Amino acid sequence: MKKINWQSFAFQRPYLFTLFLLFLAVVVNFIFQPNLFDRSTLNSNMRVFLPSIFLAAGQAVVLIGGGIDISVGSIVSIVNALLATQLGTEASPEKTALWLGIALVMGMLCGAVNGFFTAYLRLQPIITTYATSFLFAGIALYILPSPGGGIPGAISSFYREATPLGLPLAFYIIFLILLGWIFIRKTRYGRYLFAVGGQPDAAYETAVPVNSIQFSTYVISGLMAALAGIAISLLTSSGNAEIGDQLTLASVSAVVIGGTALRGGIGGVAGPVIGAIILGLIKNIISFANVDLWWQTFVNAAIIVLALAAPGIINLVRRKRP
Amino acid sequence: MKKIAISPPVAAVLLAIILFLLSGLLPNGYGSNTSIALAQATNILRLSVFLGIVAAGQTLVILSGSEGIDLSVGSTVTLTAILVYVICNGQDSMVLPALVVALLVGAIIGFVNGAGITYLRISPLVMTLGMAGVVTGLILVAQHGNVSGAVAPVMTQVIARPLVLGIPGAIIIWIVFALLIWLFLERTAFGKHLFAIGVNRTTARLSGINVNAMVLATYAIAGMLSGLGGFLVVGNAGVVFINIGNPFLFPSIAAVAVGGTLLTGGKGSYWGTMAGSLVLTLITSLLTTMQMPDSVRRMVLGATLLILISIYGRQKGFRQ
Amino acid sequence: MSVSLSARSIVKRYGGVVALADANLDVQSSETVALIGANGSGKSTLSKIINGVVVLDGGQLLLDGKTVHFSSPQAARKSGISTVFQELSLVPQMTVAENIWLAHEPLKRNGLVDSREVQKRTEELLALFEGTYKAVIRPDATIASLPPDEKQIIEILKAISFDPRLIILDEATASLDSRQVQRLFDLVQQWKQAGKAIIFVSHRMEEIFRIADRYSVLRNGYTVGEGLIKDITEKELVALMVEKATAASVGNRARQSPYQKTNQMLRLEVTDLKTDLLKGVNLQLGDGELLGIGGLKGQGQRDLLLALFGDIPYTGVVNISGEAVHFTHSRQAIQKGVALVPGERTKEGLLYLRSILENLFLPSWNQYGFPLRMRKARSDGQKVVDSLSLKMAGFDEPVSSLSGGNAQKVVIGKWLLRNPKLLLLDDPTKGVDVGTKAEFYKLLEKLCEQGTAILFYSSDDEELLGLCDRVLVMHDGIIRSELRGESLTRSNLIAASLGASDGRVE
Repeated sequence: MKKINWQSFAFQRPYLFTLFLLFLAVVVNFIFQPNLFDRSTLNSNMRVFLPSIFLAAGQAVVLIGGGIDISVGSIVSIVNALLATQLGTEASPEKTALWLGIALVMGMLCGAVNGFFTAYLRLQPIITTYATSFLFAGIALYILPSPGGGIPGAISSFYREATPLGLPLAFYIIFLILLGWIFIRKTRYGRYLFAVGGQPDAAYETAVPVNSIQFSTYVISGLMAALAGIAISLLTSSGNAEIGDQLTLASVSAVVIGGTALRGGIGGVAGPVIGAIILGLIKNIISFANVDLWWQTFVNAAIIVLALAAPGIINLVRRKRP
Repeated sequence: MKKIAISPPVAAVLLAIILFLLSGLLPNGYGSNTSIALAQATNILRLSVFLGIVAAGQTLVILSGSEGIDLSVGSTVTLTAILVYVICNGQDSMVLPALVVALLVGAIIGFVNGAGITYLRISPLVMTLGMAGVVTGLILVAQHGNVSGAVAPVMTQVIARPLVLGIPGAIIIWIVFALLIWLFLERTAFGKHLFAIGVNRTTARLSGINVNAMVLATYAIAGMLSGLGGFLVVGNAGVVFINIGNPFLFPSIAAVAVGGTLLTGGKGSYWGTMAGSLVLTLITSLLTTMQMPDSVRRMVLGATLLILISIYGRQKGFRQ
Repeated sequence: MSVSLSARSIVKRYGGVVALADANLDVQSSETVALIGANGSGKSTLSKIINGVVVLDGGQLLLDGKTVHFSSPQAARKSGISTVFQELSLVPQMTVAENIWLAHEPLKRNGLVDSREVQKRTEELLALFEGTYKAVIRPDATIASLPPDEKQIIEILKAISFDPRLIILDEATASLDSRQVQRLFDLVQQWKQAGKAIIFVSHRMEEIFRIADRYSVLRNGYTVGEGLIKDITEKELVALMVEKATAASVGNRARQSPYQKTNQMLRLEVTDLKTDLLKGVNLQLGDGELLGIGGLKGQGQRDLLLALFGDIPYTGVVNISGEAVHFTHSRQAIQKGVALVPGERTKEGLLYLRSILENLFLPSWNQYGFPLRMRKARSDGQKVVDSLSLKMAGFDEPVSSLSGGNAQKVVIGKWLLRNPKLLLLDDPTKGVDVGTKAEFYKLLEKLCEQGTAILFYSSDDEELLGLCDRVLVMHDGIIRSELRGESLTRSNLIAASLGASDGRVE
């Protein structure tokens, strides 16, 4: 029985299932929210999704390199806490730019810590980033013990309302992310990434600088988390040290739904980005479908688990057929 | 880094002793008053029981290998604690049914975890993290009126108060529990098979072991132990609140790591986890005594785990 | 091109174990030196030191007369040393082209990979082995889709893509069929003419005498002999490799097949067995019979054994001890008295972290009650250990502390404890030293005398010829020939392996 065909087809096109889910989510969302494609709704939706999109892209890079980063949510919290306390609503453009830069550096620094322990001390990624997630969460809480602070109105309204050429700002950012990824695929670094994630021993014996590559993936993840933190700060215009808590699961789910296998070595960034959008649409659907407030968390979580389970269920069914 | 010749559980116990002695030197520590020191030591021991039992399931799951981990522990403890609280409603007669429900609910959650991991090939991290969200959602559904209930008096008596020779019942429960776990791990075929699948699932499979059934059972048992944890936690606290289980999640993993169980699976013991639970409870209690805010507690715990796995958890490098 | 490499008095320790105590090797342009040694002799370690994967603890490495210190495989490669590994250094999910050019892809001026150049050069390299592939290999095929022999060829192409001056072939012929080996040796001649130097690490005598100019023998970490190949015989080489004269001469087959005696129980009967790879296998095996399976690698031998053990799905009829069975899990097979010694000891046969005791009893704990009767287990285990002459420090030592041969004894002991009626063996003497091999052959013969039915796949033709009553040669998923008695000769074996029909076809 040639079951190989379907699998290798789907293998080379991991986005197929993802695109199907996207289509499904858009349609259902449209049913509950008929003005989904209106300019302002689109804009508002995309800017809400953007933090998760950044995180999904960063997580994808780490996963392809064979690791995982579950501290991303906490890095987002640190950046948010930092900006909210240091800027306030009245900060000057120069100060804002300065602190945005510092936030990016902060994210990369956190990533470097992760990278150091996993790539150079060769500790297990799951447990290491779990430990740092706690550490970073504590730092965020230290900077901002209780929700408050502020973000300058000018820049956050830019984020919220800007629609260059009629398209939401978020579209351009997504475009840049995908462009960046295509560029990486075409460089030697991109091949190193896949080799390191796919078969690290083989990569080492082929003189690939495995440690540096894995280290760099965490720095990239930290950078993307910082960008997500900036986005969320602009979105909410305030600070909350626990804001990142939910985002970690979302980033990993987005990548799984997006078709990047958790074992490293295959996948891309486009799938996870779509995965993040799908998760955002699901949240939308739940709130617009008038689900009881108390049930919303449960329904959201259950749908996520089902979406994560779906590829497995499909495989199970295929395997059982004689 | 020089190789440490002491076995990890022993090292952890030594660390715990050192930490305890240090705590005596603090401004509001026991100083040179031995009776207060004894009382405080007993209290620390008693507090460690809850983390220790919650971490037992985590130990099993991590031993089973293949990046086994259970991130749904916190929410399971909370859910079962609430259920026990509501079912008991202050009646001694309802204690046993409440316990059974707690164990059953925990086992079901664990079973779902196990099923997703074995049959749907979802990684343990993702599956248990996802289930944690689902269970939290269930808690909100259950809680959207406020929960009313109460702990039964016999629970408080056995768990929170001294039972025999001034030793709190909780500690006695823990000792019995530990012996049962030891028996389970080292003197049953299941235990031997558990270590086997933790080391090499292919070899296990080719030696007649039903790996899928083992993994399923392990996560179900772990869930059940979380349920037991929830029962004991609410029995100790006397009240229930929405985040009652959360403080146990991170430390449960840290305790297993501190105790020397390999995070890749296949090697370790529950004694180590017990020692690890002691250490972590001590750290937390020290920080509370020093009146450190929650942020510092998190930073210290995170850093502690990081340091400990740097010592114990280093995997083979590429260059030898 | 000229190159010369000297390894002088190399020392290497792994923790407490001394892998190399005093190893020496000299090789120069236009010559092939065979680095020979039994398993555990240190020859793989020495080759890893030369190509920079492992750091030496003592001694010197001289390249072109100057002392060198390789800080990484990259450094060795830059100096012109390239290695073909047996355990592949390929990334399965990436393509042939991506793997060959990994870390040294031709780049365009702007830093991006020059895909057209990559394609062209890959095709040039693939052409070197043209005619020896099963089907044409495309540069964009994934490694995972290739059979083991073609993977090995890609490994070779990868090594020469660096245009090295010194090439190390570390057991590189293990997965290749005879046509491919010949082509490789043709290439080796070309390389010698171009002035390259080759180190040929192997224990296959026949190939060594075909291709090598000089030899260097390692034993227990010491270099015990060097010289010209034409000045030495195979027997003398083997004598250098082994401490005592326990070199197993498998050549004497005087055993009469008990199957030819009447009323021996037919233990195993297979009819039309099909899996993904197998296309309809039929065979019969009686008690006390040692049935060999031969043929080139990857023709379905492993599948056959796994299917009989219940580890992979199949269709067809299998009768064991007269009873129709269809195992879907190894547990069922074990209950019916079947045992399998798998092909990869570390990955499939042992629990490396656990103790020798736990490894021995892995399939048997259910029989020791609750709580487990450890004392009985130890005494039962001691009996098996003694019968196998297993050298160990104690039952609680981890299996990782044992040498290759002793570790394999643990795998066998694990099954002997269950008194199997049908013993399946997947290339059990791979990587086992000569002394242990001899003990192993004696053990197999003893088991046959006791009535165990044995199905034995070996990639070593000498073994099959020397041990087995009958040999079934597999090709392309079916049993191409059955050789026995007078038809069981080396040339018949090879002919049948290559697909020619010879002798009775089952």
